[in-house]
Amino acid sequence: MYTHQMMELIKKVEATRPRRKGVDYPRMAPQERQEVLRNFHPDFIADGFRPLKVGVNKGDKVPRELADLIEARSRIANVSLNLEDPTYDVDVLVIGGGGAGAAAALSALGKGADVLLVTKLRFGDANTMMAQGGIQAADKANDSPEIHYLDVIGGGHFTNVPSLVRALVNDAPMVIKWLEELGTFFDKDEQGNMLTAHGGGTSRKRMHAARDYTGAEIMRTLRDEAFNKGIKVIEFCAAVELLLDTEGKAAGAILFNLETEEYLVARAKTVILALGGSGRLHFQGFPTTNHYGATADGLVMGYRAGAKLAFMDTIQYHPTGAAYPPQILGLLVTEKVRGLGATPLNINGEQFVHHLETRDVESAAIIRECSERKLGIPTPTGMVGVWLDCPLIDLIHGEGTIEKQLPAMLRQFARFDVDIRKVPMLIYPALHYQNGGLMIDENGATAIENLYVAGENSGGIHGRNRLMGNSLLDILVFGRRAGWHAGEKCKEVQLKQLSLDHVDNYHRELAQNGVDTAGRVSPMLLPRYTHREALQV
Amino acid sequence: MVQVEMVDIYIMGKKYVVPASLTIMDALEFAGYQLKRGCGCRAGFCGACATVYRIAGDYELKVGLACGTKVEQDMYLAQIPFFPAVKQVYDLETLAPSNTAIADYYPEIYRCIGCNSCTAVCPQDLKVMQYIAYAQRGDLARCADASFDCIMCGLCASRCPAHIVQYHVAILARRLYARYLLPQAPHLKLRVEEIREGKYDAPLEALMGKDIEELKVLYNSRDIE
Amino acid sequence: MRYSYYPGCTLKTQAGASLERPALQAARALGIDLVEQEEWQCCGAVFPLATDEIAPFLAAVRSLATARDRGEKLVTLCAACHHVLKRTNHLLQVGSETRDKTNNYLQLEQPYTGEGQVIHYLELLRDELGFDRVAQKVTHPLAGRRIAPYYGCLLLRPAKIMAFDNAEDPRVMEDLLLSLGAEPVDYPYRTECCGVYLSVNNEEIAGSMVRKIVHAALKQGAEAMVNACPLCHYNLLNLQEKTPGGEPLLPVYYFTELLVTALGLPEEVGDKTR
Repeated sequence: MYTHQMMELIKKVEATRPRRKGVDYPRMAPQERQEVLRNFHPDFIADGFRPLKVGVNKGDKVPRELADLIEARSRIANVSLNLEDPTYDVDVLVIGGGGAGAAAALSALGKGADVLLVTKLRFGDANTMMAQGGIQAADKANDSPEIHYLDVIGGGHFTNVPSLVRALVNDAPMVIKWLEELGTFFDKDEQGNMLTAHGGGTSRKRMHAARDYTGAEIMRTLRDEAFNKGIKVIEFCAAVELLLDTEGKAAGAILFNLETEEYLVARAKTVILALGGSGRLHFQGFPTTNHYGATADGLVMGYRAGAKLAFMDTIQYHPTGAAYPPQILGLLVTEKVRGLGATPLNINGEQFVHHLETRDVESAAIIRECSERKLGIPTPTGMVGVWLDCPLIDLIHGEGTIEKQLPAMLRQFARFDVDIRKVPMLIYPALHYQNGGLMIDENGATAIENLYVAGENSGGIHGRNRLMGNSLLDILVFGRRAGWHAGEKCKEVQLKQLSLDHVDNYHRELAQNGVDTAGRVSPMLLPRYTHREALQV
Repeated sequence: MVQVEMVDIYIMGKKYVVPASLTIMDALEFAGYQLKRGCGCRAGFCGACATVYRIAGDYELKVGLACGTKVEQDMYLAQIPFFPAVKQVYDLETLAPSNTAIADYYPEIYRCIGCNSCTAVCPQDLKVMQYIAYAQRGDLARCADASFDCIMCGLCASRCPAHIVQYHVAILARRLYARYLLPQAPHLKLRVEEIREGKYDAPLEALMGKDIEELKVLYNSRDIE
Repeated sequence: MRYSYYPGCTLKTQAGASLERPALQAARALGIDLVEQEEWQCCGAVFPLATDEIAPFLAAVRSLATARDRGEKLVTLCAACHHVLKRTNHLLQVGSETRDKTNNYLQLEQPYTGEGQVIHYLELLRDELGFDRVAQKVTHPLAGRRIAPYYGCLLLRPAKIMAFDNAEDPRVMEDLLLSLGAEPVDYPYRTECCGVYLSVNNEEIAGSMVRKIVHAALKQGAEAMVNACPLCHYNLLNLQEKTPGGEPLLPVYYFTELLVTALGLPEEVGDKTR
């Protein structure tokens, strides 16, 4: 429920609404777009980044919060472990229980490998589960993998790795077919044709959906299938460090039972990292739309073992995360809300940016309104946001549109006594996606032999910007490819002695480069929240 | 400083004073918990944070997702982060979408006594008992549709006197329905065949060979549906 | 004429093609609007005699109350469902512990006290529409067909509560047959139990009961038997003697199959009775 002061401010929104209805705010000229990005997009805030002092990417800039985790001491620095007597000994170790991990495990199993999947939360607790919008694939007559290729690479500002884009678009229809055969409940017409829609930056309607639970439907189907296939899964069991063998090849991981706090040794012939993104690091203090477990563990472990980071200086911010009520801070307000005509407004009830600029520009403009121009709306928790005038939707499209087209949104706000048919939402950009990650090739392989990465944990596919609907796709394309390859490769692997020398070496390198790691241990595994801001009124 | 309204809540019987504006999840964290179980997407999609509670003096047992339910004065709560459940193993490829397909794996659906406790506890407001009724009579389409928004939090199963695990019944119905009763997409089949035949290999190879300026021209001149 | 319609599980699985489909087809042809309840659950198929447990009544009460709320009579087709719904309705009508307990549990917006009405499809034809109206619509009379109606127990007993027909000498199926132009065959045992509740555990006893019924009808010159109960139907068909070709000695039909045939409705449903 809005405070009295906020309700007073909403009167200004109501006062300007008749004048704004049906009037299209001008889009920015190319130069202005560049300017607002350079000055206000978090990727351009120099202070938000710092160069790494150690490792393969020494000198490259990454978000400060991530750098602090990368340049930290290992959790096992003072733990005694017997590497000769592993608790688990398998062909393929999959770390991560989201869509990429599930796809990788199923694919490796299909190659006849003995697979173990470990995940620090529950199997299925991942950003995959939260993806609402859809999954791209060029499978309609007027579309083709080539057109999809152009959309992806243009959307990524031509920075993407071409071979990865090819794999992505070429496998996309195969992935949808696979899901269809697994009994994924896609939206279809009576003839079975997929109901597809546009997403930001697509030139064809190729967004496949399962109502607004697309990711959840895919995740629960894959999880069910993994159980049917008898894949071994250990939940609440985090990986905290990779194991290499004496030849420097990946050979397993040190696991940590979150509940008993025991460290365990898992030996494996090939290892697949599928640990997702980093939204819960709250770069530059931003709220996030991400899952609780998105704490960059995979980046930290992979980097320590010598894998290379790519595009880690670019983060995707979703322009419309919820800024109020505080209970749903960062909750994703789907792009569809703006698609239906809701516009961002400042404290005076005036629009300040076209409502359908690209995500990065829209976000930067909102940040400018709140910071430089100081025209944001303050909330009792100290958070500032701008209005998103959703009641406009029913005015434009007729009463009942919100109820019919945005039932999940309506329900999520109604839980906290905000009726989005009657009052605007308060929104602010939220950390949404880690565009980069650990560099992979077409098979999901890294430069470290027998180490694979899939999903948001990997980098290069999307270059500097990802399009909506391509991440549900990439987790499955590269999850499958990594699984197949790792499942084959393990057959020829002769493991040498297990080693954690790389961790010692890393600690040494930190010291040599004068990095003060006092109080810093990683990977983070779990965020810690206190919600003390709730007391700051 | 304006006075913040605080409430007393009891986490598994132990009292904490927390701001009244918080969700149960935020309140747990405010109280000092670092959540391991019972916390997932924090947005109502994953079903990790099923919570049961009573308000002191009220006989009714209430439920909610911790991420989407606000605390109240004198709330006694416990999370149900895990609930043991039977998940039958099957090979979807060898099943048929028959009237008895579900009952073959989950015969206990016929033990339903119609108490409707499952519906009463569903945080997604699904008509759980009704979708079990559809399963009983082999109506896969309706069972699949009515259970679609299920987040598999497990509360229904926790309350079922007939020992039914409703959400596993539901996912079998949805998978059977989507696999066998929804027609397969004809355009998808066609495209997969084309890709397997290598129809797009050369064109994609050609695109990969282009430099940025060439790609920019192609990208900026592409027609948009 | 608009009614709420409670099909029951058997009609959605086993008896769909031969009992429900023709019934709905005939209803349309006769101008009767049967609206399947949006939500209904299994009635349990057996009326529970132990009234200290309320769970077995809940599904029935929900359907009864929903029909009441719509101001419609509740039409049944399966004899077992009809039996359960009718007796549950009575139990709530007369005022009982069950009435208090079910209402207390269900917390309906308006308590249910048996004010609704449950009628079987046969009663619908007889009392609401009238067999004369049925006769007027007959285009393919079943002239010369000698058919033996079989009632069984569920529709008739307990007589006072079911109030379906004269429990000792029922006429409703005979009258229906007459209106369709057929010749009803009178024979003993038509209101006897067919023993279906024993057919799983003791097929021998159930079989002997069925054979007794079938033989009596054959002896009176019946060429086919007609009934209204999926349980009896299953039992009568499966436990009677077979011809050398494996066919039942006496064909058994649901009354709805004969109805659509006589009404001349599309052949795919009715033709096997010819």
